[in-house]
Order: sequence, then structure tokens, then C-alpha cells
Amino acid sequence: MEHPISIQPARSEVTQENNGPDTATDAMEVDAVKPRTTRPKRPNYAQIHSKPLPIETHPLPAFIPHNPLSIVRIAIALISHSVWPPQVKRIVHKAYFSTETHSVHVTDPASIRALWEQGFFGTGSLSRTEPRWLDQEKRKRGIVAMQTSEEVTRQRRAERRQFKLERARVEREAIEQQRLLEESQTAAHQDLDKFSFQNVSVHGTSETNGLREIDPLEPSPQSVQAVLEDPPSDSKAQGLPDEVVTRIVDQEHLQLSLEEAFFLSFSLGALEVCKDQTTLPVYYLFRLYSAFSKFPIAENTERHLHNLFRYRQWHNAGINPTGDFTGSLEFSDVSSITPDNTFVYKYIVYHHFRSLGWIVRTGVKFGVDYLLYNRGPAFSHAEFGVMIVPTYSSPYWSETPERQVECKAKEHRDWWWLHRINRVQAQVHKTLMLVYVKIPPPWDFDHRNASFEINMGEVLKSYKVQEFIFSRWTPNRHRG
Amino acid sequence: MADEDEELSHLRGPEPADIDLSDETQDFLFLDKLSSDANGALSLPKRGTKDFESHETQLQLDTLEASRQAMHGVLSWTRVHTEKNRILAMYHPESNMAYVDKVKTQHFLTMGRAKGGKEWLLPEEVLFLLERGSLDCRWPPKPSEEEKDSDYKFTMEDGAPMSLQGAYAAFIGFEAGVGGKLTLEMYNVYAGLKRSGYNVYRTGSWDDDRAALQLPATGSKKGGNAKPGYWTRFFAEIWRRISSVGVNTQVPTENLRFGPLVKPGLYRSYADIYRLLQIIPTQDRGAPPTFMLESDPSNPFRVHFDVYKTGGSFKKSNRGPPDFRIAVINARESSVPTAAQLNDLLVTTPHDPPKATDNLYKKLKHGQRNVVLAVVDNGVPSYIRVAEAAFSEEKLYERTGRAPRGKGGGRGRGRGRGRGR
Repeated sequence: MEHPISIQPARSEVTQENNGPDTATDAMEVDAVKPRTTRPKRPNYAQIHSKPLPIETHPLPAFIPHNPLSIVRIAIALISHSVWPPQVKRIVHKAYFSTETHSVHVTDPASIRALWEQGFFGTGSLSRTEPRWLDQEKRKRGIVAMQTSEEVTRQRRAERRQFKLERARVEREAIEQQRLLEESQTAAHQDLDKFSFQNVSVHGTSETNGLREIDPLEPSPQSVQAVLEDPPSDSKAQGLPDEVVTRIVDQEHLQLSLEEAFFLSFSLGALEVCKDQTTLPVYYLFRLYSAFSKFPIAENTERHLHNLFRYRQWHNAGINPTGDFTGSLEFSDVSSITPDNTFVYKYIVYHHFRSLGWIVRTGVKFGVDYLLYNRGPAFSHAEFGVMIVPTYSSPYWSETPERQVECKAKEHRDWWWLHRINRVQAQVHKTLMLVYVKIPPPWDFDHRNASFEINMGEVLKSYKVQEFIFSRWTPNRHRG
Repeated sequence: MADEDEELSHLRGPEPADIDLSDETQDFLFLDKLSSDANGALSLPKRGTKDFESHETQLQLDTLEASRQAMHGVLSWTRVHTEKNRILAMYHPESNMAYVDKVKTQHFLTMGRAKGGKEWLLPEEVLFLLERGSLDCRWPPKPSEEEKDSDYKFTMEDGAPMSLQGAYAAFIGFEAGVGGKLTLEMYNVYAGLKRSGYNVYRTGSWDDDRAALQLPATGSKKGGNAKPGYWTRFFAEIWRRISSVGVNTQVPTENLRFGPLVKPGLYRSYADIYRLLQIIPTQDRGAPPTFMLESDPSNPFRVHFDVYKTGGSFKKSNRGPPDFRIAVINARESSVPTAAQLNDLLVTTPHDPPKATDNLYKKLKHGQRNVVLAVVDNGVPSYIRVAEAAFSEEKLYERTGRAPRGKGGGRGRGRGRGRGR
């Protein structure tokens, strides 16, 4: 019961303030406090991300029908290209598969930048999306003045919070004033000065109580201000010795999802996934990623699969695999890829939208499988949220009654599932798209022998995608 | 981690289409304003801020009281049934419909159909009018033996009045025809849309197991994608040939097998690369629509109602194409449709391509064919519009770059032009 008393003087100050002609001044005050910081200049994203894929192109000079000189320029370019072919050495990035995180890691800083800038692949392991940990770290120590997106967000949040606090204060004061006004009216009516005075003080304490309740949850505007000013100023940076600068080691790596990694390796040939200094072939990666998209994953999955891979390699090279040194090669746990493996159909959808020019990124934040960006997250918000639904409409899946029942159970999604997703998408201004992937009959037979080396093109072409847009329809809005 | 959505809510308000007034508790003050403004100029009042807790001021209490008064004012309105507008209908057990001898009131502008000198009402129409209190439906009189012999001619007045319970029992689910039974869900949707001011009719006769295929109208393709001019095409072809000198334009089988699809080499533009990547089969939109499943009367996905917006010179005899098509679904007895079910539902709707002038997102969202699903969960309908999107026809890579001419001949030269000037 101590605190109302101790705060009493402070409160009386506030009430005194309120006695003035202050509705207008209050509003002005809020306006002045409202943060109006100018945002730092954005980097030139159009230039940074001018390549939509990590592949070089050699465009011809423009052809302008009414400018004959342009033809000459094209001719020169063509001839020079045919005589001295341009250096089309493909830059291949190196990566390795991490069994712990079920993702593919890229550690070379140049590769990380390139994969992010050219097609928005991967996620920084210590950042929100774009790998900016080092920049953040440098900035924290006052070396670079550039702001990272994480910092911008943090600052914006603080600003918004302060704005809300300020707004709440103004509202509170308006109510308090209204109450005082009403009380003074009743007091005037009843002509009882003493009574009204008591009343005011009672309300004052109750109000301070309210303040006390809010305080621990939300820091006062002053403390928010302090947080804002926390990043070190330039003077601090100047005092910093050079050794510290060099001492920061980039501890961040780029994490590629399995679909991204496979797209880069199989489709673009821009990524090599290595194990023990050897580059793994595409069909092995496909088997590996598929095996790691099931649940639960056996402990020895990766080892067994790799053993089988080595066995197959020796076999193909004509070395007798029954020799002594193969005795340790255990691969009994390797199973075939089911046609409805999560990785397989997710990759189908990933590849489909990438091949149409969309930037596809994970949609786990919004409760969907993928988000589709036009040009990339640096340019615009994602417009579509993609949810993948495997569908078993191939005749194979309805041949026996047991199969029918099993597929029906796998296909089943109730309406509440759809409403949940749809509501979330509407809230974050995305359009929900269900992508149905038609699952073919099983194709991975004899996976320990001849067909270990998958024919990727054939497999990918046996699936089929179909897109449907789902959106809420409100009768009240369409009548007009 | 919720940065992106937070950012959005900061920048944009909710889209008007997402605000559903029925989601909120009504503030009846607005009714008061509607009725008080008798000059004919009705306008919906703006919604103010909402108070979530009491703050003990007289002002707040007064506002609340005023709103309450407005509600009572509306509810205490005396409703009058005039003799002039009383409609008598007779139940017809054979067809499970009801008929009216004499057409009165404006309801018959949008309901009922004339046949044999009488106006026939479908079950949902009878129920709707009964619920509104605008119709008096009678059971057909059962004359006793003596009465049969006498020359007395029975009129509608002699039939016993049908109670509301009786009407629901008689009209819901007792119709002939396999696919044509009115369920409570369908009536719910019908009544809801009627009350919202739409004109609602059954789609087709509901007698057949499934509706007919809707083939795209011939000639509709021409309007969809306008061909570029002759010269543009000529230059485009020349350009294509010149720029493909020494460039890979096809994926060799060996690369298709083991990758990479885009083998190292010379490429003129990213569009060429994207074209190489396109290997995943999609729905063939050139092919005529077909059913994927066997005709099955138990298939819940079927277009039930044609919905028309009101306004203009609407005639029930000459309705024209509907504005929306509604399929009613019981949420407890069905699940989200499979691709085959969706396909079979959508092929019974007409081909409705987006306008060629619309922007990319709008086009994709509009889709090629569309239907509105009314998912009824224990009497609460929620409407979902489903559209078949043509993603593979709107190639994003042909739009990106700073190509000054978006379509047709200028393929691949957008990037080149951007340099050096």
C-alpha cells in the first residue's frame, strides 16, 4: 500500500498540467514526439541484384530498326564472339551437406554473396534472411556506419512502440480530463466544494495505480530513447584500433534448403556439393535429400547411402565389389524413394515456379510451403503463398481397394485446415494458392543396382502441377 | 520473425474486400441514422473507434445508452401485414413444390415460374417466403367420402395452414431427382444470399448426375492474346535467329538425365535460360476440358446456384449469364476437394479469362475458370472463391528486365538496350 502515496506528488503535477487549455497542445506535443527520422538511403538493389540467376549472360547490343549503326554493332559483337568466344567459365560454388541441420551449407564469403545477390538463394545462419551478420557485428563495434535490415526493423519497432505509448498517454489524459469535467459539473451542480476535492484525489490515485501496472511491461519513453541511442557514435569508432577490425571472423554461413541446393546443382550447375573432397553427383544428391525428407530419419541413413554409392562406383569401374575392402560397406537400410516423398514433390513445385521466373522462398513464417516473389524480397513483398497438395489421380493409385483407402487418407484435408491457412494469408496480404502435384506410380525400382543412377529428367517429367487460387468471397462486398 | 507482416500492417490498411461487417457486433446507431435521414439520400455512417473497457465517464455511458436506444427503436417498429399483400399458396405433394393462383407483390419479380396458369414456387422459395412471413402455405385439403360426392369445389382457404416446422419437414430433402435434393445447407446459403440482396436461382434442373461440360466459346482465344503486327514478328524472328548463333537452345538428353539443365556455354539472355529450365508438365490449357472422374451422384462438388447482382433491368425470364456460381458444401461431410474433383467442378463453369489489359497479379488471381464454394459448417456459411490460375501462361521472365516493349518482338533485347545509353 506504499506506492500510491509515494507517487502522489508526481500525479498532482500531471493534474496541474491538465488544468490548462491543453487539448490542442497535447495533440501538438504528440506530433512533435512522433519520430520523423529520415531513413538511410537504400542501396541500389536493381544493380546489386541485376542477375536473376547465378549464371553469366552475354547479351548482344540493342537492335534499333531506324539506326543502321546498331546493326554494325551487332555484327561486330557476333563476329568477335565467334572468333574469340567470351570467357564463359561457369563459377561453381562449393557446399557441403549438413546431416545435423538437414540443409546444405556454403561457407565461402564470395559464394554466399553471389548466391544471395543472384537469385536470392539461401538464408544467413545468424541473420534474418540476408547474410548480414558480419556487417551487423562491424557496425556494433563502430566500424561501418551502414545499417542492416535487422537494425532498421529494430529501430522501427522501438519507434512504433514509443508512438503507441504516447498515444495511450494522450488517450488516458483525455479520459481523465473528461472525468474531471464531469465531476466539476456535478460538483457545481451540488455546490459541494469539499466533496469534489476529495473525489479528484481519489481518482488521481487510481490513475497512478493504472500507470504502475503498465510500467513494468512497457518501458517509459525515456528508456526507449536510450535504447535508440545505443549504437555507438562515430567518435567511438575513431578511437578503435585497427587490430580489432581485422579480428572479427565471419562466423556466418549460408544455409540452402534442400530444394534450393538441388535446383542450383541439377538445373543450373552452379553448386557442387562435396563430401571428403569429392563432388557428389546429382542422382546421389537426389537420393540423399529424399532420404532426409522423411520422418523419422534413421541414424545411419547418410552412412548407408554413401556406402551404397561407393559400392556402385566400384561396380561401375569394374572393380570386383566382393573383395575384402567392401566388407565394411553396409547399406542394408537404404530404401527406395517413394513417389510421394516430400522432397520430390516440393522440388517439383520449386522448380516449376523458378522456371517461370519467380523467386521462390520458404513460406514457413506464414504457414505455407513457399512464397513467390516478383524479382525478389529486396524489391517487393511476396504476392502468393503456395501450399502444396499431393494428389493421387493416376489410375495406379485406385487399382486396389487398400491403395484407394490409403490415398484417400493421404489426400484428406478438412475445411478447417483450409480456413486456417486462408485467414492467415489474408491477414498478411498474400494470395493463397494450392498447388496440386499429381503423383505418378512408383518409379524407383531396383534402386540398389542399375537404377541407382536416377534419370532425373524422366522422373521430373512424370509429375504434373496444377495451380488453383483460393480467396475469401464476402457477399456484402460483391453486391454492388 | 514476424517482420514482414508487421511492416505491411504498418503500410497498408486492411483491404476493403477483407472487412466483413457481419464479423462484428452491430452498432445500431447506424440504423437510427438510416431511418432518420428521410430525404432519400442514405449513406452509411463511418465507423469510429471502439472502446474495449469501461472508463467510468458519463460520456461513454451516454454513447452506450444511445446505441441501446437505437436498437430498441428499430426492434419496436410495428410490422404490418396488409390484406392486399397476403399470398396464399397450396402445397403440391407430387412435385414437392407449391403454387400460387394469383401473383402479387414484388417477390414474384425474381421468384417462381408460370406453368399451366399457376405460379410455381420451388421449395427454397416457399421456405424463404414463409420465413419472411409473406406467404401463407396450405396443405391440400383431404375431402371425406361425402364431401367428395358433393359438388363443393375446394379452394385454397379450405386447406390446413402449414406450420413452419411442417414446411421445413416437407420441403427439405424430399425432392425427386438424384442430384436435386434441397439440403438444409443449400437453403441456408440460398436464404443468406437472398437476404443480402442477390437474386438466386438453381443452376440447371438438378435432375442429372452432373452438369454438362462447358466448352470455351470459339473465337474467345483471339481476344485473349493479340498477335503482334507483321513487321514486329518478322524482326522478332530474325532477331531470334541472329541471337541464337552459338547458343544452347535445347537441353541434351545426357544433361536432362544427370544435369545440369543449363550446361556451361554462351547465353544471350536469361529468358533463354528460363526456357531451358521449363521441364515440369502442367495442365494443358489448349486441350478441351474433360471430366476426370466417373459420373457419381454422391460427388458433393456441383454448382447449385446461379447468383445475380441486383440492379439494372433484371428479368427472371431473361437472366443472362450469372455473376457468380455457387457450389454448396457441407463442411462436416466433405473435405477439401482433390485435383480431380476441382477439375470436374470447374469444367462445368464457363471459360472466363481475365481482361488482357489487367496487370499480372490481377490476371493470375482472376484465373481461367472460377467458382464460389459455400462451405456450410452447422449453418454458418463461409464463401471461398476458387480459380484455376494460368501461371505457366504468364511468364514472369518475359516481363522482367527493363524491356520497353513488354510483349512480342522485343524478347531478349531488353537487357541489351539498357546498356550504354
